[in-house]
Amino acid sequence: MRSADRVTAVLLLALAVAFSAGALKYYSWWGSGGPGSAFLPFWLGLVMVLLALMMLVKSLRNPWPGDAWLPRGEGLRDMLVVLGVTVAFVALLKVVGMILGTALYLLALIRYLGRHPWWLAAAIAFAAAGFNWLVFVHWLRVPFPEGMLWTF
Amino acid sequence: MDFLSNLSLGFSIAFTPFNLMMAVAGVTVGILIGALPGVGPPSGVAMLLPLTFGMDPTSGIIMLAALYAGTMYGGTITAVLINTPGESASVVTCLDGYQMALQGRAGPALGIAAIGSFIAGTIGVVLLMLVSPLLARWALSFGPPETFALMLLGLTTCTLLAGDDPLKGYISMVAGLMLAMVGYDIISGDARYGFGIVEMMDGVDFLPVAIGLFGLGEVLAGAEQARSTQVAKTRLRLRDVLPGMPDWVRSRWAIARGTVMGFAVGVLPGAGPTVAAFLAYTVEKRVSKHPEQFGKGAIEGVAGPESANNAAATAAMVPMLTLGIPGSATTAIMLGGLMMWGLRPGPMLFEKNPEFVWGLIASQYIANVLLLILSTLFIPLFVRAVRIPYSILMPLIVVFCITGAYSLKNNVWDVGQMLVFGVIGYFMKKLGYSPAALVLALVLGPLAERALRQSLIISDAGVGIFFMRPISGVLMALALLAVAVPVARAFLKK
Repeated sequence: MRSADRVTAVLLLALAVAFSAGALKYYSWWGSGGPGSAFLPFWLGLVMVLLALMMLVKSLRNPWPGDAWLPRGEGLRDMLVVLGVTVAFVALLKVVGMILGTALYLLALIRYLGRHPWWLAAAIAFAAAGFNWLVFVHWLRVPFPEGMLWTF
Repeated sequence: MDFLSNLSLGFSIAFTPFNLMMAVAGVTVGILIGALPGVGPPSGVAMLLPLTFGMDPTSGIIMLAALYAGTMYGGTITAVLINTPGESASVVTCLDGYQMALQGRAGPALGIAAIGSFIAGTIGVVLLMLVSPLLARWALSFGPPETFALMLLGLTTCTLLAGDDPLKGYISMVAGLMLAMVGYDIISGDARYGFGIVEMMDGVDFLPVAIGLFGLGEVLAGAEQARSTQVAKTRLRLRDVLPGMPDWVRSRWAIARGTVMGFAVGVLPGAGPTVAAFLAYTVEKRVSKHPEQFGKGAIEGVAGPESANNAAATAAMVPMLTLGIPGSATTAIMLGGLMMWGLRPGPMLFEKNPEFVWGLIASQYIANVLLLILSTLFIPLFVRAVRIPYSILMPLIVVFCITGAYSLKNNVWDVGQMLVFGVIGYFMKKLGYSPAALVLALVLGPLAERALRQSLIISDAGVGIFFMRPISGVLMALALLAVAVPVARAFLKK
């Protein structure tokens, strides 16, 4: 935790300096009788610099190594699989389409996480995809990505 | 008389079949969402907000407000049955509620929570109805300096409660304000921090951020324990839920105290149901004749906090409706919804959109009755829902996050943004930052910036304007106090 705080503090510090400097460089400090578009961003960046410095000092002073905060083993793997499959789903959204993609996504994750029987996973996946179609496509008329495999 | 005609206008709107249906749907879905561990009121409201875009704003807010009330009770079910708070306001309910469940008294624990919530919620609406118009009338005299001071107060107090480390609360809040700076500046027309990307020039929308932080972030954190979460088997029937006479006698003052304290805490911008529940628990323990029973299944320890969090949830609507300043992350998201529906939150809302405000107030009475009926009659059903394995729930929640983020503006960019904030939310949760403070700041950011710049134009760049005017001076002093208190406390600890 302590080293995580240190890394975060340094990242925030860099970001905040860039934020303030960017505001001064690209935007106007004062315009049409009042503060311009650089005014508040500059001060916000400065406040963040202070906060990040405070956190940096605090984490350097603290001798306590802190608890482990990242999961290990199976927990970490499950988290990464959920994240990975979700990213893949979104990346392929325009290829697979929202409705079919939803069904496949659910099928894959429910099987992976729960070891539930195929029929149960499939039933939930298609029921949820059907519900999505009914509410969003049919009722709310949201133009979901249709995908190249199946149009509806 | 004016008052009664407004209320009857409200009821005539709330009792239309569609709005009534929205209230029922809101309460039911709310109880379910609240009962799911990890998915709390802010993510519930954020995920369902896109559903309301096709509706009349009044129906939309009726559903979301009913949902909010439902989640407050739903969180209790998991707190009592599996010792996991469904949302943060139910954390203290675990202490005595779970002990009662171990002693076979889960029924009365849930029952007294339902009755307490009903009483507190109903009295809360009465107070909301009486206080809001007065506050709105008073707030009409507010100029930009007062508005800015009030927002500053809301932002600083919300970081007060952001967990153990106030420093991380402030970092979350300032990060939210920085995000709010992205996009077109209304006054100068500069596209700030857009990096030439068209979607970035429109700014960072609060909705994908909120769905990512609260929805996906929680799911990722929960994914680590997906396999190990076990739910205790419990059977509950209707007659088990009704508390007996001795329970009722022990709880009645706890409910009364919880209601009053909850409302008082909830009205303050920033302080929300969670603080109210903690406060109520502490007070109940202190006034009790047998404090040694607390933590071992004292029913007052359930009745007090549960009443307080419902009263606070209702009270949080007061600053949102009258001042346009949300009292919590959930009301911040509702406020964002208000702006999306094209309404202008603030004191004018009562004059310009009476059907919206009074429809909401009237529907809150109905929602409380519905909550009492549903939470007692259908308790076996909700208990079964709590038992749905996490491995099935989590993927479903993610699908809702994705469709919700997409249907905001029908583009994949927002979905990507939601994903990014999901990952950020995961780290924030793991490292003790406050997503609630970030979302609150993101919603308030543009409004606060406008008020600040207008004030400085009026004063010709003098900062004194915030301190010389009486109302804004007091608010600024309170805001500075809210910053000073945690700093002083940290120093005294050393």
